[in-house]
Amino acid sequence: MGLRAFIAKRLVYSFALVVVILCFNFIIFMLMPGDPSAFLMPVDPSEAMTPELMREREQLLADLWGYGQPYHIQLVKYLKNLLSWQFGKSFFYKTEVTNVMNWRIPYTVFLIGGATVIALVIGVVLGIMAIQRRGGLFDSGSVATSLILNSLPTFWIGLLFLLIFYVTLGWFPNAGAFPREWAGGKGPVPFTTSINFSSNALVGVFSIDAEQALKLIGGFTHHAFLPMLTLILFNFGGWLIFTRATMLVTISEDYVITARAKGLKERAVLFKHALKNASLPIVTSAALSFSYVLGGAMITEAVYTYPGLGRFIFDAIAYQDYSVLMGVFYVLSICVIVANIIADLLYGILDPRIRYG
Amino acid sequence: MKTRENPLVFRAKRFIGFLRILMRVKKGILGLLIIIGFGVVAFIAPVLTPYSPLGEDIETRQPVAQQFCVPVWFKILPFQLIGNRKFSENFKAVDDPGFPKLTNDTANGEWLFITEGSGVSAHLEPNVDYPNPVPIKDYLRKNGSIAITFTREEGILYTESKAYLFKKFDYPFDGPPVAFQGNVELLPNGTTYSIGTAKYLDVPIKVRVFLGLDGSKNWTLWPPLASRESMEIGSLNALIPGFTVNYTTGEVMIRQPMNGRTENGYWIISRASRETANSYIDEEELARLAMGLRIDQSPIPLIFTKTPGKYVYGIELTFIDTYHPEKTVESTVYIDDLYVATYGNSFGLMGTDHQGADLFAQLVYGTRISLYLGIAVAIMTVVLGLSVGLAAGYFGRFVDEFLMRFNDFMLCLPTLPLLIVFAAVLGTTLENLMIIMILLGWNGFARVIRSQTLSLKERPFVEAAKAAGAGSSHIVVRHILPNVMALVYVSLATSVPGAVTAEAALSWLGFFDPGRMSWGRMLYNISHLGGTAQVAVNPVWVLVPGLSISLLAVAFILVGYALDDVLNPKLRMRK
Repeated sequence: MGLRAFIAKRLVYSFALVVVILCFNFIIFMLMPGDPSAFLMPVDPSEAMTPELMREREQLLADLWGYGQPYHIQLVKYLKNLLSWQFGKSFFYKTEVTNVMNWRIPYTVFLIGGATVIALVIGVVLGIMAIQRRGGLFDSGSVATSLILNSLPTFWIGLLFLLIFYVTLGWFPNAGAFPREWAGGKGPVPFTTSINFSSNALVGVFSIDAEQALKLIGGFTHHAFLPMLTLILFNFGGWLIFTRATMLVTISEDYVITARAKGLKERAVLFKHALKNASLPIVTSAALSFSYVLGGAMITEAVYTYPGLGRFIFDAIAYQDYSVLMGVFYVLSICVIVANIIADLLYGILDPRIRYG
Repeated sequence: MKTRENPLVFRAKRFIGFLRILMRVKKGILGLLIIIGFGVVAFIAPVLTPYSPLGEDIETRQPVAQQFCVPVWFKILPFQLIGNRKFSENFKAVDDPGFPKLTNDTANGEWLFITEGSGVSAHLEPNVDYPNPVPIKDYLRKNGSIAITFTREEGILYTESKAYLFKKFDYPFDGPPVAFQGNVELLPNGTTYSIGTAKYLDVPIKVRVFLGLDGSKNWTLWPPLASRESMEIGSLNALIPGFTVNYTTGEVMIRQPMNGRTENGYWIISRASRETANSYIDEEELARLAMGLRIDQSPIPLIFTKTPGKYVYGIELTFIDTYHPEKTVESTVYIDDLYVATYGNSFGLMGTDHQGADLFAQLVYGTRISLYLGIAVAIMTVVLGLSVGLAAGYFGRFVDEFLMRFNDFMLCLPTLPLLIVFAAVLGTTLENLMIIMILLGWNGFARVIRSQTLSLKERPFVEAAKAAGAGSSHIVVRHILPNVMALVYVSLATSVPGAVTAEAALSWLGFFDPGRMSWGRMLYNISHLGGTAQVAVNPVWVLVPGLSISLLAVAFILVGYALDDVLNPKLRMRK
């Protein structure tokens, strides 16, 4: 089987999984307590609920989700809506779910992506350092530290950080993704565009204000620092242990012994021979761990009131905002599936044997 | 040839041998010791704390102290480390309120009695008692009271005689209390005259309960009628049943005798439990009215001016003898359950939560929940994973296909959001949470067992067993299962931490069992109901439950790693 066929097979399989997960979603939200009449409530509280309006809403609901119709029709409408990125209206935010979700996604991507990359780098580097000094104090110390950090509840690390850095030292804020006074688009504007009408030509001037740009980056970093640190501390230990374990396997392989026998330096042996082969499982499990990291990120967002998807789903449960819950759950599942596809493909590309397996 | 050993003896020997190897792995011993320690704490929890698992009083289910108390030992911490000498504790000023005794009557008497004017005497009355409708504490139901009697022969008038019954006590703390709560129950009786069907005492009695620094001003805690504000409150009669209130002068009098054994045969000046601390009959509210303070003024700084210091708490009775010189008159007031208790801002080893429940009791009993949940979930996931893995690996085909596809499916579900959604659908009792964790947790282990079984079933010993005519179940149980038991033991130990931290995370997100207090719920309470301010005031509340969770988790991981070391000799060689 060639690479192309392999990819095609995985894609088809993943699409089937998406459909299964959608059906699963459908069943779960059928089972949820409460009823869709919540969607019928006026979007604007000051709006009076007349019988005509009620009927209109019901009609809308029936058109969109098929309420009051047989289950198989509901399911088909549901699949169609979700596949076309339509999740209905949030009765808490009084707007389309997608509107709220779309501006929240970047925060989560930033948080999870940043934390995963940094944790991965730290974990792999420290894992290799532990292998270099295996049996020594650094080895046992770093493994013990990773074990402990990895088994601490994420939210508890968050609470401690808040206690130390927010309450006691006052170095970092406790909530939000940017300073409060920036709300409503009042943040620093890092670039300006102006149009000048000079004597005979229209000149557009685009200039970057370095000071403002720094301020903008600083504001976001300041707020993302603690959540990211929490996630990194929570995750890097796993990578350290994993790297160490895979490296332990590879350094006892024959080709490593050969490399040593050749008289290569230990450094070269570790990085060029051992790590290269050990990187395969590390890279794939990095992609596969997405679901796990997501759980940690969700709790971290809840602790720091960081406006990502985790916080979004957390609030949605509190307000029983089912359309939000459904939408976010779907998006998260899709993300995990995409991560799994990437893991599969990486494996297929990095290790040709897999394709023929 | 030696005969075959008794299988039980053989197993025991093998187990002891296994333990001996395990004992050689230091981290295993450490982990095991920690787990045993937690087990002991969970087992002897009722010995460690006198309170209920929720940290309340076992009998009355009432809070044990003020809300948000700090630990008692914060008092000795230096100021830089949030210590403060001025933390106060709960304090009972009266030792035996159930049967108050006079100092000149018995050796263990605690009430002093002095009179002003003539005709007043006091004695112990062991048989008169007033049923307290609110059983705040056992001692309040005890028999016995102090009887204070006023008598006068016919022909003279004493006009006004006073009796003081009081106790001097040392308030031992450096800081003033946060709240206090007093109580007194009175039963008047005596000679009467009649108007219509109603009977009236010949000698009516005025009552005043006071508290104050010894040798300084005594503040009236009751009756609450010194201020205009209190006069305007309409329901005074409900507040002080049995008393006659003169709404123009603010005078409160006992004018009628009462039958102590009837339903309303007692008057209660204050029996506010702290549950109703903000209600109208709150003693602080009454004291505030009695002292004529504004609504934003607290009586405590006025009363507790010197800490530590000697204070006086007592009752003053004024017998008004102005009406019936023509006959011999008598009035007796039986006094019972006279006590006052102060509530400080520090309590116990860990302080109290947002409801005044003891945190240490919650921590100790939380050990039970974590161990129970962690071990039960680990066993169930492993058993489920083992059965499915064995079935899939050995029988293959449909079971295998289903398992692998289901496994893929589970891998694609974001676990934590799913846990939350399920918890929201099914409800959040502890057992439900456990079921959800088991249902979401078995598939990884099943996959491991499946791959092991796949390789094991091709081995020669299985072939030999088949050739000898063994059935599938025999092969699986006798030949394959023993070979995967190493994995089972390791997985048993390493699944516990996941379950414990998952429960903590769910609890912290608000999905806790309302009937039980787990470590996660303690953390939920401080971060959601106490807030960041409370974290700064009582960090112990955050630190100790979190440390306990991680200590338990690490202990199980250590044991798992030790088991792995012992049971997989290959790993040992790699070092």
